Amino acid sequence: MEHMAKLNRRPEHAPQAAVEVRGLGHIYEGRDGAVPALTDIDLTVPAGHFTVIVGPSGCGKTSLLMMLAGLRTQTSGTILCDGRPIPKPDPERVGVVFQEASLYPWLTAVENVEFPLVLKGAPRSERRARAEEMLNLVGLEGFGGRYPHELSGGMKQRVSIARGLVQDPPVLLMDEPFAALDEQTRMTMGHELLRIWSQTSKTVVFITHSLTEAVYLADEVVVMSARPGRILDRVPVDLPRPRTYQMMATDKFGQLRERIWHQIRDTP
Amino acid sequence: MTRPSPQTVRRLIGLALLIAWEAVPRLGLLPELFLPPLSKTLAVLWLDRFIYASALLVTLYEVAIAMLIACGVGILVGAIVGGVASIRNLMLPVFSSLYAVPIVILYPIFTAWFGIGSESKIAFAGVYGFFPVMLSTAAGIRTIDEQYLLAARSMGATLPQLIARVIIPAAIPTVLAGLRLGGALTIIGVVVSEMLTSASGIGYLVTMNRTILDSPRVFAAIIVVLVLSIAFDIAVRAIERYTLVWQSAGRRGASSSTAASARMATPAAASAV
Amino acid sequence: MTRSAIILVRIALLLAVLGAWEVLPRAGIVNPMLLPPLSLVLKTLGEILRRGDFQEAMAVTTAEVLVAFVIAVPLGAVLGVLSAENEYFGAIFKPMLFYVFSIPKSIFLPMFILVFGIGFGQKVAYATFSTIFIVIMSASAAVESIKSEYVLVAQSYGATRAQILRRIYVPSMMPILLETLRISMIFNFTGVMISEMYASRTGVGHMIANWGENFMLPQLFAGVVVLAVAAMSFNELVRYMEARWSTWRS
Repeated sequence: MEHMAKLNRRPEHAPQAAVEVRGLGHIYEGRDGAVPALTDIDLTVPAGHFTVIVGPSGCGKTSLLMMLAGLRTQTSGTILCDGRPIPKPDPERVGVVFQEASLYPWLTAVENVEFPLVLKGAPRSERRARAEEMLNLVGLEGFGGRYPHELSGGMKQRVSIARGLVQDPPVLLMDEPFAALDEQTRMTMGHELLRIWSQTSKTVVFITHSLTEAVYLADEVVVMSARPGRILDRVPVDLPRPRTYQMMATDKFGQLRERIWHQIRDTP
Repeated sequence: MTRPSPQTVRRLIGLALLIAWEAVPRLGLLPELFLPPLSKTLAVLWLDRFIYASALLVTLYEVAIAMLIACGVGILVGAIVGGVASIRNLMLPVFSSLYAVPIVILYPIFTAWFGIGSESKIAFAGVYGFFPVMLSTAAGIRTIDEQYLLAARSMGATLPQLIARVIIPAAIPTVLAGLRLGGALTIIGVVVSEMLTSASGIGYLVTMNRTILDSPRVFAAIIVVLVLSIAFDIAVRAIERYTLVWQSAGRRGASSSTAASARMATPAAASAV
Repeated sequence: MTRSAIILVRIALLLAVLGAWEVLPRAGIVNPMLLPPLSLVLKTLGEILRRGDFQEAMAVTTAEVLVAFVIAVPLGAVLGVLSAENEYFGAIFKPMLFYVFSIPKSIFLPMFILVFGIGFGQKVAYATFSTIFIVIMSASAAVESIKSEYVLVAQSYGATRAQILRRIYVPSMMPILLETLRISMIFNFTGVMISEMYASRTGVGHMIANWGENFMLPQLFAGVVVLAVAAMSFNELVRYMEARWSTWRS
């Protein structure tokens, strides 16, 4: 727990950009020739910030995230994660939480969380302790022995978040992690995510379709256009933290949501 | 009126069949040549138990070797076909087209090549069991959820780690379904080939006693084969249950229905025999 | 790889296999007694196709296959639809069917011989027996594959029972039914072959079994080629129809 106490506050002034994207473009080879997927993406996410990317389906949000994770290579431009390029996945710098919980059904919750450490060859006692610690952090104390099919959708995503955090990467990427959940669970999970974030001071890049979720979670909302994806607007969300559900009813919240909605709707 | 549970009805039907097996020939409704009474069949089985046991040993030996070949080669080829997209696109349609050919017509070639001893049975049953194992291994590897692989790569898994920790465990349910079918088919393959041409084994006892019209001994051999194939099925199901504790009831149902549809799709064909 | 490249490589592979079949025995690398060269097999094939006894055997085998098919498929389909439509009936018989499905049918071949002899009727009876279970199972799977929402939507628009049958059941079941047709033919053909090989006086299966026992390998290979080509042709024909019917399926 000493480890967590150390991380227990979020730096007020970001010392440096945790994620830095410059002039990024991506073209993929489709059935009918080259298709531009992303153009002219410039994005700076300061350390400790919570950035949410929204945009219509097929705008290349997920592609961008895959590139930030080192899972895909861009056609042009540079990406720096924690100050260095990321040509291949590096779980000590970047953790990823996927849309479907993508937990391995043949592993228990705690085994899923410790999976990245197993890959690294960490000793058993050490990785088990670390995984248990992460499960406690996401509020799943005592559920480590369960298989994924014995967990609810929200619990699965908690396990998935724990797995993304287990190597303590400074950056956490999340690809619509709550999209498959029902509305109520989704709200709870958003709230929980903010709690976990405030306890760990990670830099988060979060993709979503839900504008309410975006405004509720973000320090800054990045609005992308339909294909080829480019950045239309960056909307700072200056609602105070900690966020509360009551804020959703405020005019300010509504105006922010409205501004983003117009951006998406008005661009063909 | 409450209807009895389906299971009760099934048990009653099973019991009725056994009683009919005894009563129908005794009452003279069917000649004993067509259906000897159950008691008489069991009696000759007990009387000839050493003959049947030594024939069973021959059969089991052939089954064991054929199963090793079918499963070993089947899993290997299936992994290559399922894992390498270019080979898969090239070969899978060819395999499923070849699968329409009744494999039993190859058996005369095998007897010409290997003689009528155990070798031809092993070769035939090996080929027979190979296809379902290979096809379901390929399917098991091909249908792995893309997200599992992506997640593992994001966690920095190397290719050997990907294979050992993600691909193999994810493919196990489908592969096991294939092994169950493939194993059952090697048993069938051995018995059929013994029935067709041979001088030993349970299948030989069936044919030999049929030619001399000794019905009770034919049916005794049939009982031995049925028990053998049922025992195999129970054993593999037990292994499946043990290996697949992580599958939910729903998913297990799903996987057994995929197994059923896999049976119905190409791999099924061979159990026609 | 593009489609045309795949086809080219497949043709190359086929030619390589056929070439090896010709060259290896000719060069003496493989014993030509055990693997007669392709050219000899094809020459023999031409001869046996002109032989009266082979043509007669072909006619008998074809008749057995067709009669068994015409009995097994409709009968199995009706039983399958019944077991899917009637829950109680299905709950009783489906596990039994699975069970019967998994046991080797060929072991019952002697019973068919004891009861029916070794003539035409026995071949048809055994082939029907070995085919019907797969038809029942696939037909009931086909009915179960119909989404209940489709039926509900149709009902909400006032569709009659006959309309539902024609507009919902038939198109939804068509792909599976065609697949069933294809697979039951494989079962059926295998059933006829094995019963001809086991005990018979005529039929192609009987002839190849004889050629095998008498070590007449060119004839044996020629017979196997004829049977394999026939089986694969039917299979591809139905697959082609399946593909045309299933275009709407992803």
